[in-house]
Amino acid sequence: MSVKAFELVPAVERHLLMGDKARINIECIECCGKHLYVGTNDCFVHHFLLDEVPSPKGKPSYSAQKLLHKYLGLKKPVAELRAASALERLIVLCDGVVFLVDMVTLESVPSAAGGGAKIRGVTTFCVNENPVNGDPFCVEMGVLSSRRRTVQIYMVYEDRVQLVKEVNTPEQPCAVSLDGYFLCLALTTQYVILNYNTGASQDLFPYNSEERRPIVKRISREEFLLAAPGGLGMFANAEGASQRAPVSWSEGVIAAAVCFPYVVALDENFVTIHSMLDQQLKQTLSFRDGHVLQDFEGKVMLASTKAVYVLVPLPLERQIQDLLASHRVEEALVLTEGAQRNIPKDKFQVLHRRILQQAGFIKFGQLQFLEAKEHFRKGQLDVRELISLYPLLLPASSSFTRCHPPLHEFADLNHLAQGDQDKVLRCKKFLISYLGEVRGTDAVNGCREDVDTALLKLYAEQDHDSLLDLVASDNCCVLADSVPWLEKYHKCVCCRVGSPLQGFSPAWGGFQEGMIFMFYSSADLIPLVRLLLLTGVHIFTRRPACKGQPEVDPDQVIAYLGKHSQALLLYLEHLVLERKIQKERFHTHLAVLYLEKVVLLLAESPRDEGRLTRAREKLQAMLRESSLYRVKFLENLLLERATLHGKLEEHDEALRILVHELRDFPSAEAFCVWASSGRDAAYQRRLFHLLLAVYLDGAPPGEARAPHGDGSEMEMAAVDLLNRHGEAFDAVRVLRMLPESWSLQLLRPFLNRAVRASMHASRTAKIALGLARSENVQLLHDRLKERRKPIFVSEKKGCHLCHNTFSEPDVVCLPGGVPVHVHCAAQRVRDSPTKRQLANSSNHT
Amino acid sequence: MPDVSKMKKPDVKLVLLGDMNVGKTSLLHRYMERKFKDTISTVGGAFFLKQWGPYHISIWDTAGREQFHGLGSMYCRGAAAVILTYDVTNWQSLAELEERFLSLTDTANHDCIYALVGNKADLTDPKAHLCQDSGVLPEDRRTECEEERTEPQVLSTCPTPPASPASLSGLLLHKQVAREDAVALYGRILRYKGLDEKSSLPADKMCFETSAKTGYNVDALFETLFDLVLPSILRKRHEDQASPTVDLEDCREGSGKRVRASCC
Repeated sequence: MSVKAFELVPAVERHLLMGDKARINIECIECCGKHLYVGTNDCFVHHFLLDEVPSPKGKPSYSAQKLLHKYLGLKKPVAELRAASALERLIVLCDGVVFLVDMVTLESVPSAAGGGAKIRGVTTFCVNENPVNGDPFCVEMGVLSSRRRTVQIYMVYEDRVQLVKEVNTPEQPCAVSLDGYFLCLALTTQYVILNYNTGASQDLFPYNSEERRPIVKRISREEFLLAAPGGLGMFANAEGASQRAPVSWSEGVIAAAVCFPYVVALDENFVTIHSMLDQQLKQTLSFRDGHVLQDFEGKVMLASTKAVYVLVPLPLERQIQDLLASHRVEEALVLTEGAQRNIPKDKFQVLHRRILQQAGFIKFGQLQFLEAKEHFRKGQLDVRELISLYPLLLPASSSFTRCHPPLHEFADLNHLAQGDQDKVLRCKKFLISYLGEVRGTDAVNGCREDVDTALLKLYAEQDHDSLLDLVASDNCCVLADSVPWLEKYHKCVCCRVGSPLQGFSPAWGGFQEGMIFMFYSSADLIPLVRLLLLTGVHIFTRRPACKGQPEVDPDQVIAYLGKHSQALLLYLEHLVLERKIQKERFHTHLAVLYLEKVVLLLAESPRDEGRLTRAREKLQAMLRESSLYRVKFLENLLLERATLHGKLEEHDEALRILVHELRDFPSAEAFCVWASSGRDAAYQRRLFHLLLAVYLDGAPPGEARAPHGDGSEMEMAAVDLLNRHGEAFDAVRVLRMLPESWSLQLLRPFLNRAVRASMHASRTAKIALGLARSENVQLLHDRLKERRKPIFVSEKKGCHLCHNTFSEPDVVCLPGGVPVHVHCAAQRVRDSPTKRQLANSSNHT
Repeated sequence: MPDVSKMKKPDVKLVLLGDMNVGKTSLLHRYMERKFKDTISTVGGAFFLKQWGPYHISIWDTAGREQFHGLGSMYCRGAAAVILTYDVTNWQSLAELEERFLSLTDTANHDCIYALVGNKADLTDPKAHLCQDSGVLPEDRRTECEEERTEPQVLSTCPTPPASPASLSGLLLHKQVAREDAVALYGRILRYKGLDEKSSLPADKMCFETSAKTGYNVDALFETLFDLVLPSILRKRHEDQASPTVDLEDCREGSGKRVRASCC
């Protein structure tokens, strides 16, 4: 629990004071700047010059030089000494008399004008360190008299003292302290606060002053420290309330002083030091024969009966570091924050931040991550300090070096964890969450590359879900570091040139996209795209459509891919065919690319028919499926042109091209099927007739063989067409069109089909006729049955369908002889077409 | 106690009073640190700062020992609420409240709120075993508490025997103070303060039975009080900020300082 907050340093050794005279004791001391005054029991005042001796080791020491000693001539002990430096006077209490001596000569000051610079019958006095009176050349003093129950307020001038106020007290006062108008008094049985200006009195708490020596010590503005029953050090303010919890002393405390943030108390054997911040005992110094303990302008001095010491506070930073070194983080922070008032603001901030950072690392080392994070955050830690603990996380290009002196004692994470893999893992998880939190904040300004790279590496190593999110978002990962790392953890094998396109698992697809994004934010996009040339495009095409990621701008991608037609082609196919993006630009672009490829392959010799066909099929499919491309771009390929004409519904022209110019009969047939798909049978029939007509026109009977060789080829095509799609033709029309010369044998399949179809149609019609007739007969039968009894219609009778009365004699009789309005029946028939027959056969009455 | 270090000026003060060993410190620990742990007899007093919404509430834990009795009125000075604590298994602890502690509250604010709290309810009341803590106490934690319960005052520097013999056997002790007794005392407190019973807070709202050990009713106690002192905070702030009367004292002091500053 202990802290080393103070060091006891001898100031004036025994031999300087009394030599070997055994009976001489120190009674009181006063220190004012470098001047130390010591009052002894033989009525001497000694004057020393006290110098702090700088020592190379930082251990403070003092040297005292005796200037003067003076016998005051009263043969009694010098009870108290107070310096009034502005007046160059020492206020001396000796033998119940207060008088002034010169600070330099120690000569008694003669009373001016007989006014008498003496106050008699004094038991004790105090000086107001916070006087309301603003005159710097007088000192306000509270004096307790031995004979009267009063407190007297005096003004002390250079050569006189002046009584300004006298306040009565209910009991004999025995200790006093003064701040502003407030007198804090120890009376015989209690402490009180007395406002000498208004006379208002405020009881504090009971205390038996005869049993134990009371202590009344002003510690700050309107705040006093009092010895309370049970060995407590109580704080009380001028309102009579306590704003700090008491400190627990021993019962025998004889003197106390405050040296922020510590309360120093002296008893017979020890000096105890408590913190005012947490009321804990922080240090105990053994000190025998302690007699006097006082603080002078922040310097705490201590006297035994024979020698004077200084309690030198260790520098706050050192104390804090000591606390941190023993991992007492909370105490260190309390001490730091408590010292805020005593340190210049900018210096405090630096100190505070550093302490917080150190505290954070201590907590981190103890795996108390919540606290650590809080300290790091408040201490505005450079995240890289933390990252640098983890081996290899910082990019090689990082310029970071750990701060000096170091914030922690760890070499790295392995040192910290001592081989405990679980610890390592927990630390890594912490860093992941911490980096994730600070990533977007200002805290990482200037080191975003380092942070993002470290996070990427951690994600990859820990197989973290957020890896994709990180790389997909705007990030600053350093490529040179990330890629090998990702490869190492099998996150990014496909980055290599030439890896097979098929090798993508869907899970990687998203990540690929990430890679591209990653490079977006770094400058060197083009080299990367080159690297990823073929594989890279999958980044765009295999990317899952969901995830709410910002959409890639396809235009941008296309611009980048422009130089790499294969990749561009794949990308465009992805856009147009898979994503079905309806943009004329993309469609035209893709169509043109297909076209170029076909042209290229056509120009090759020898032709690679397989590739050519595939390329053509693609182009044709594209031309057929898409309706967005700009037709004009594409008119230089006949087959494709035919398709275009088809698009424009210029079927005859299209077929003409297909048949006459290309002589691609299967294509022509396919064209007919394609062009008529989704249309009715008549449309298809029209197209086939058109095609047939084209064939037949191309091969007029008797004409010489056409340049390409063959009317018969056309004829064969026509025959094939008829034989294959016979059912689509109107056989009668076909027979009329066909040349006389064609053999029956040639057309047999067609004729077979035609005859069969015709037979089928005829038989179907007959069956329908028969059925209709039978229904008719049935209805007639019904009707006759109904007519056997009369059906009455009158103005009073209602229609069964609309429930209105009849107004005309014309009615329709439903089966069962139910008369209804004509229009109602018509309505009903319209609603149910199956009743058509019934309506037709119904009769008027 | 890192809270103390912030040294924010508290807006309002709550004071725990009561005889020694009734569990004042344990109540406060339970509320502030959510656990029941060994406490030693409080020396003098201690205080905690609690952030309650935008307000800072200082809660003073006082020493119950006779020795420190005299300090009580100082702690109570300016208090907005006083929690008078007794031990339900100890009739004397209730009587002491009236005899010794009530007079300490003379220094509290005129509108001070009083709460009567019977602690150690777990020793007499099975329902107080149900942990009403906001976080459910895990089973192992509870047994841990049970062990700790080997009477926290064992370490006490206090010479008197513990006020309530511990119920290590798990047997329920005889409840010496019934709720009605507390309610009656509350009425007498109001009379002592010269307050009208009808215009004051009702007894059934201000008498609690708690268990610092199980956390039973502890949060309810503190949070009820915090909510009740809020008007007092607001009024204080209002008085501080928007007082229509000019504070001459303040002015003079201010100008005096200025003169001093300019003269040197």
